[in-house]
Amino acid sequence: MTRQKRITSLIIHIVLIVASLTMLVPFFWMFLTSFKTITESTQVDPFVIFPKTWSTDAYKKVLNTMNFLLLYKNTILMIFFRIVCAVVTSSMAGYAFGRLKFKGSGIAFSLVLFQMMIPSQIFIIPQYQMISKMGLPNTTFALVFPGLVSAFGTFLMRQAYKILPKDLEEAARLDGLNIGKTFVLIMAPLTKSNTIALSIFTAVFAYKELMWPMIVNTDKNSLVLASALAKMQGQYTSHYPELMAASLIACIPMILLYLVFQKQFVEGIATSGVKF
Amino acid sequence: MIWDSNQEPGIRKLIDDFTAKTGIRAEIQVVNWDNYWTLLSAGAEGGALPDVFWMHSNESQRYMSNNLLLDLTQRIKASTEVDPENYPADILGLYTYNGKYYAVPKDIDTIALWYNKKLFDEAGVAYPTADWTWDDAYEAAKKLTKADGSVYGYANVNTNNQAGWYNQIFDNGGYVISDDKKKSGMDDPKTIEGMQFMAKLINENLMPSPQVMTETGEDVLLESGKVAMTTQGSWMLAAFRDNEYTMANCDVAPLPKNAKTGRRVSIYNGLGWVVSAKTSRPDDAWKLVEYFGSKDAQLKQAQLGITMSAYKGTSNAWKNSVPQFNLQAYLDMQNDMVIRPYSRNTVKWENAINDCMLKAWTKELTMEEACKEAARQMNAILAEE
Amino acid sequence: MKQQNLRHTTTRNAFFWGWVLILPTMVGLVILNIYPMIKTVYQSFCKTGDFGRGNIFIGTANYAKVFSDPVVWQATLNTFKYMIVEVPFSVIIALFFAVLLNKNIMGKSIYRTIFFLPMVAAPAAIAMVWRWLFNSQFGLINNVFHISTHWISDPSIAVYSIALIGIWSDIGYNMILFLAGLQEVPREYYEASSIDGTNGFQKFHYITVPMISPTIFFVLVTRIIAAMQVFDLIYMIMDRSNPALSKTQSLVYLFYQYSFVQKNFGYGSTIVVLLLMFIMVITVFQMFAQKKWVHYN
Repeated sequence: MTRQKRITSLIIHIVLIVASLTMLVPFFWMFLTSFKTITESTQVDPFVIFPKTWSTDAYKKVLNTMNFLLLYKNTILMIFFRIVCAVVTSSMAGYAFGRLKFKGSGIAFSLVLFQMMIPSQIFIIPQYQMISKMGLPNTTFALVFPGLVSAFGTFLMRQAYKILPKDLEEAARLDGLNIGKTFVLIMAPLTKSNTIALSIFTAVFAYKELMWPMIVNTDKNSLVLASALAKMQGQYTSHYPELMAASLIACIPMILLYLVFQKQFVEGIATSGVKF
Repeated sequence: MIWDSNQEPGIRKLIDDFTAKTGIRAEIQVVNWDNYWTLLSAGAEGGALPDVFWMHSNESQRYMSNNLLLDLTQRIKASTEVDPENYPADILGLYTYNGKYYAVPKDIDTIALWYNKKLFDEAGVAYPTADWTWDDAYEAAKKLTKADGSVYGYANVNTNNQAGWYNQIFDNGGYVISDDKKKSGMDDPKTIEGMQFMAKLINENLMPSPQVMTETGEDVLLESGKVAMTTQGSWMLAAFRDNEYTMANCDVAPLPKNAKTGRRVSIYNGLGWVVSAKTSRPDDAWKLVEYFGSKDAQLKQAQLGITMSAYKGTSNAWKNSVPQFNLQAYLDMQNDMVIRPYSRNTVKWENAINDCMLKAWTKELTMEEACKEAARQMNAILAEE
Repeated sequence: MKQQNLRHTTTRNAFFWGWVLILPTMVGLVILNIYPMIKTVYQSFCKTGDFGRGNIFIGTANYAKVFSDPVVWQATLNTFKYMIVEVPFSVIIALFFAVLLNKNIMGKSIYRTIFFLPMVAAPAAIAMVWRWLFNSQFGLINNVFHISTHWISDPSIAVYSIALIGIWSDIGYNMILFLAGLQEVPREYYEASSIDGTNGFQKFHYITVPMISPTIFFVLVTRIIAAMQVFDLIYMIMDRSNPALSKTQSLVYLFYQYSFVQKNFGYGSTIVVLLLMFIMVITVFQMFAQKKWVHYN
């Protein structure tokens, strides 16, 4: 490596390290707080950064009282089905909006965009009433319900399909494939990176959602992570070390999910960079 | 359905006792406060409320007037466990509509003065006693406030009305809302006079700035030794019990009284157990809330040290749950209680008042101007009810 | 003749397939989202009663009130302030790091995961942590740098502090999208231009940006919409006793107060419609502008 390249590389690494540390400061704080006593966690003066004794009481209490395996299961099921629904419906619609010219597509796509612009809080009560009438609160279906289709996903996939080269469809038609087969066999596989991105986002948005799961799945056995964490906040004060410990434990499946997806992400390089 | 997960284990025990007695089983579901009322609203509109749930004075009028709650009047009359005589009349009043009862009272709360013994010792000030007036408190605050701002004598944020400045209003003979719920009392001269206590504290900087008080709660300030006095509701006991600093250094005294009128008021409030009007099991649901209101259950509830029970005379157990604190102070405050001001749209005008008070706290308006403005806005809101 | 027939069939084919492919999404959207929206618009023309009963139709009275309400206009200003700061910074920073992490750097997986972490932290925990970081007397930032800024209680800067938290949370999201877009840029373009003797910056300006302009467009559109809808951060970090609230509360926050706290769904719905108008104008503008700078194949 030439000297100049080495210096550039060093500078890049320093920048990345500084940025990473800044991103992580809040997590350090969460981590440290989870080992403190309640008094230490709320004390303002003197400000307690490091706990005097690293007490694992918060973790023990949280692991004993909260059934994390069940929470993981409920949350992961919700995420899984939401991903499947989002990817399938959004890929189909994204391809149609991005590559096909047909009557009514303009209006339909405007409706898709329109949905994204509406604050999601107004959906809560009507959707709850629908689930209630169907008799399906406290089920995985209820959790998935608002995510059965995804306007956001549709928009994302439309962009993904629009980028692909024009001649692919010509080639497919000459080979005798109809539009449906073209979509499934040729076009869809080329959007791997964006599909994975969509999966990651669907997962994160579902994981963070609070108002809907809290209202529709109140039964102890059908709670998700976000609801369980919110319940830990008392009306007047919260047990901060326990809240931090629980939040950190709750992060774990998402981080694992991301690491798994990330590998797929990186491998996406092989399939894109289309040969013309 | 309830909103406080801190009370869940205790109520679970009560339900277990109930099941042992009657064989009827019940499930608790906890939804946090923010989403609780949204869920109930959605359920009310779409038809499915929980069988049994907590009701709060902020919302009780709305639910009763819309026929969403089961009328319990006849059942209460016939019951041996639940007798209206045994509960504070005002609490029952919160959940009474057109002369009918809709809830079994669950608990009550009162307000008292918490103070930091260590800071008092350092400043050489005598601890608050039952003879204190608000003027004594003001004098003590002056002595306790350090010039460098490391300690303030008192703390009361503008939104802390029930456990804070409402009490001074009523001590002085003022009022917040008229009995017929049509007029605001915020511009009554006695109210404005009562608010002068807070005005003095604000203008002479005996309290932390509103910015500090909004970023750091009064309880945290007390727990960190930054303030010497603050008034808090009995529901804060658990928090102060779990904090080592307050356990070691703080104690509680009755609220000071008004020098002129001699009144020592505590605003109070209480939750009620209600039953959905459309429940499929009204008899069982009734038996459950009846049990919750019985002397037995109310005693047990108090023993858990979470809240003071509504049933008269059962709160001694609560008092004894943390002997280090002089919790008798809270019980003494029951001698002169005023129900927390409410109406159909409580939250709306309460927010309006608090916002006006904020301007007084930040010295944008004088206290008198803020009170008059608060009354103006509140009257407009009440006119719409 | 045959040519025309072919085109006719293609159009009919496209029509058939187009609608089949978008049908699930459209049906879902109409039931789940459009219908509630229509309900909301209807509510904005009413004085709503409790629990959806007794709605009195009052025509445009709510709208008249909204247009003359200084609180609403202040909230609009607050929302725009938030958006103007949060979106550009989070986009530019994310783009910068995405380009860096797209190269073959040692430990790039770790860095990518670190940037992703803020997205999965529980909102309650984030709020608590940032409240402490920003605390004017006892917070970490003020104590480390020996300043006494009232980050979240000074009316003139609170909204920007909230924007800072927004930037911190959103960099990961933007970065993932940019990385996805960057993967699509064929290596050959860079190699060819290296032969022509272009440097890093030129490559970025003439190859990277145009090639990922659809991604940048998507990020901008979605981030602006999301920024206009900011609510959770403000709700969790500031409460009513905060002097800075009136200069920070967003339109969605106001809507939540009216609809969910005060149960005044009529007025709350009016605010939602107003917000929607703003977002629509901005988004439509962006859709037209995309012809100028977004480069599709």
